[in-house]
Amino acid sequence: MTPRVETAALGLGVLGAALGAWSLAAATLPLPDYYLPPPTAVLGALTDLTAKGILPTYVARSLERILLAAVTGLLVGVPIGLVLGMSGRVSQFCYPLLNFFQSVSGIAWLPLMLVWFGFGERTILVAVNYTVLFPLIFNTLLGVRSVPRLYVNALRTMGAPRWRIVTDVLVPGALPGIATGLRLGLAYGWRALIAAEMLVGAQGLGYMIFNAQSFHQTARIMLGMGMIGVLWVVLDYFLLRPLEDATIARWGLVQR
Amino acid sequence: MSWLRHRTVVFLLVLAAAWAGSEAFVRLTAPGRVDPALARALAADTLVNVAVTLPFPPEEFHIRLFQGHGVVSGVRGTTVLLNRVGPAEVRRIARQYWVRRIALQ
Amino acid sequence: MTRMAATLRGAAPFAALVLVWALVTRAGLVPPLFLPPPGDVARAAWEMARDGSLWVNTLASLGRVLLGLAAGVPLAVALGVVVGLNRRLAPVVEPVIGFFNALSGIAWLPLAITWFGLGWWSVTFIMFNTIFFLVFFNTLVGVRTVPRIFEHAVRTMGGSRRHVILQVLIPGALPSIVTGIRMSIGFGWRAVIAAEMIATSTGLGFLIFNAANFHQSDAILVGIAVIGVLWLLTDRLVLQPLERRTIERWGLVSTAP
Repeated sequence: MTPRVETAALGLGVLGAALGAWSLAAATLPLPDYYLPPPTAVLGALTDLTAKGILPTYVARSLERILLAAVTGLLVGVPIGLVLGMSGRVSQFCYPLLNFFQSVSGIAWLPLMLVWFGFGERTILVAVNYTVLFPLIFNTLLGVRSVPRLYVNALRTMGAPRWRIVTDVLVPGALPGIATGLRLGLAYGWRALIAAEMLVGAQGLGYMIFNAQSFHQTARIMLGMGMIGVLWVVLDYFLLRPLEDATIARWGLVQR
Repeated sequence: MSWLRHRTVVFLLVLAAAWAGSEAFVRLTAPGRVDPALARALAADTLVNVAVTLPFPPEEFHIRLFQGHGVVSGVRGTTVLLNRVGPAEVRRIARQYWVRRIALQ
Repeated sequence: MTRMAATLRGAAPFAALVLVWALVTRAGLVPPLFLPPPGDVARAAWEMARDGSLWVNTLASLGRVLLGLAAGVPLAVALGVVVGLNRRLAPVVEPVIGFFNALSGIAWLPLAITWFGLGWWSVTFIMFNTIFFLVFFNTLVGVRTVPRIFEHAVRTMGGSRRHVILQVLIPGALPSIVTGIRMSIGFGWRAVIAAEMIATSTGLGFLIFNAANFHQSDAILVGIAVIGVLWLLTDRLVLQPLERRTIERWGLVSTAP
């Protein structure tokens, strides 16, 4: 057996054993039913919620919000990061501020947003957009700062105007930082979104699992959790990580 | 053209195809959900009272959705009674794949 | 002199921020309900410090973070080493833990509430599982990427399996482990704050959420400031020295080919 097949077989074996243990525990543990529904119940919830149109709608709502945050973050955060990064003095000055605001995630600002906008969609969007924005600004700035002065000076000696330096050296050089910032920002942002949906009660995966808890629909909770995990893994594996790898591979020369 | 086989491109293409397919399916089957009598009544472009039948008892999610389209006046088993619905709203409801039938009350 | 100059340089941006903040509120650009002036916030902080609510809630949050760390890190490192050593099992377990990483944090809250009810058990569990999966994953990856040559070197010198583990694998995996701890504290803090808003009645998250219900914007800003300061302190006083002592010390042994 080739190593690949062996790993796959072992993986299936482990999966089967895990599902078996879970079903056994669900059937035998002396706890109320809603504590640990068996895997079949979770599967049932999947078909049930899809047939009822609930799951696709909630998934779409959550995805819309995170996508909007990604686009806004890129359109707003990258230019800001580029501009701030162009000056060494400004960068040094902003660094602690950006670090501070990045670490105070959007969720911490949510209560203030509730005072400003109440329990509505805008509150969620502001919190999530904020969470995605700061890692993008921060990492774009770091990306620009990491471009060796050598390249900038080389272009200067060739008589290039300021804007050429930006488009030909600084932006490409910052691209790996931008990709990393996007990946980090969305990682924080996806989690902040789930929390915000729970708190504000708007339609989405966070709301779905939180609501299900009040009705002891634990199979739905587990289904929702699975979807949250799967969606992030898919997003990361198919979009974010390839983007990061591609920018590092192509422009990684310019970054130490 | 080898980049076409890259996993990101395949993923985006599959996504686009799935979305297009589902949209087409939904729009093609929508008229089939509308009762003929209702379809005739809609030509008058007035507000009507409809009964939306689902293949399952409606949940809070569905009631909330219907409240965005009209005034929910009651639930009988798997049917939701919805008042003051315009033609555009009826079409929108008909496009939900989980609706079995919309008819006049 | 340089130490003090460095601290002043670090504080200057924040002083500038507070100045801008004061000017904006003085100019009346934003209603005081939305953005109270720095003076109000300072006064609120003083009152909260005096009546103890600031300390109680800060300690509650810190306690949960520390408890989650104390329970999660040793367990995760131990399991990571054990699984990482098993060359058959490791490639299978790695993606599974990677998946649970994606899931970690606040998404577990409804399940935690189902199992443990509202209260500090649920919140601590959130912190615990955020730490656990991330550190487990990083330990696993760290152990697996220690170049085999070091293991062979110790063996040829007559070292036992225990020597290999203690003197090669763990130091070799340490940079990865410490990175994992750092990331998980970042994710974990956010998850704890969010969980406290939803599931319990003590802690900084609860403090700011509760203040929102009473429209006490100044209390909210106090809470936010405390959260930010706590993170900066953790980063400066705990994480950076930790990284310096481990990654810089054993950085030789770490890099994967």
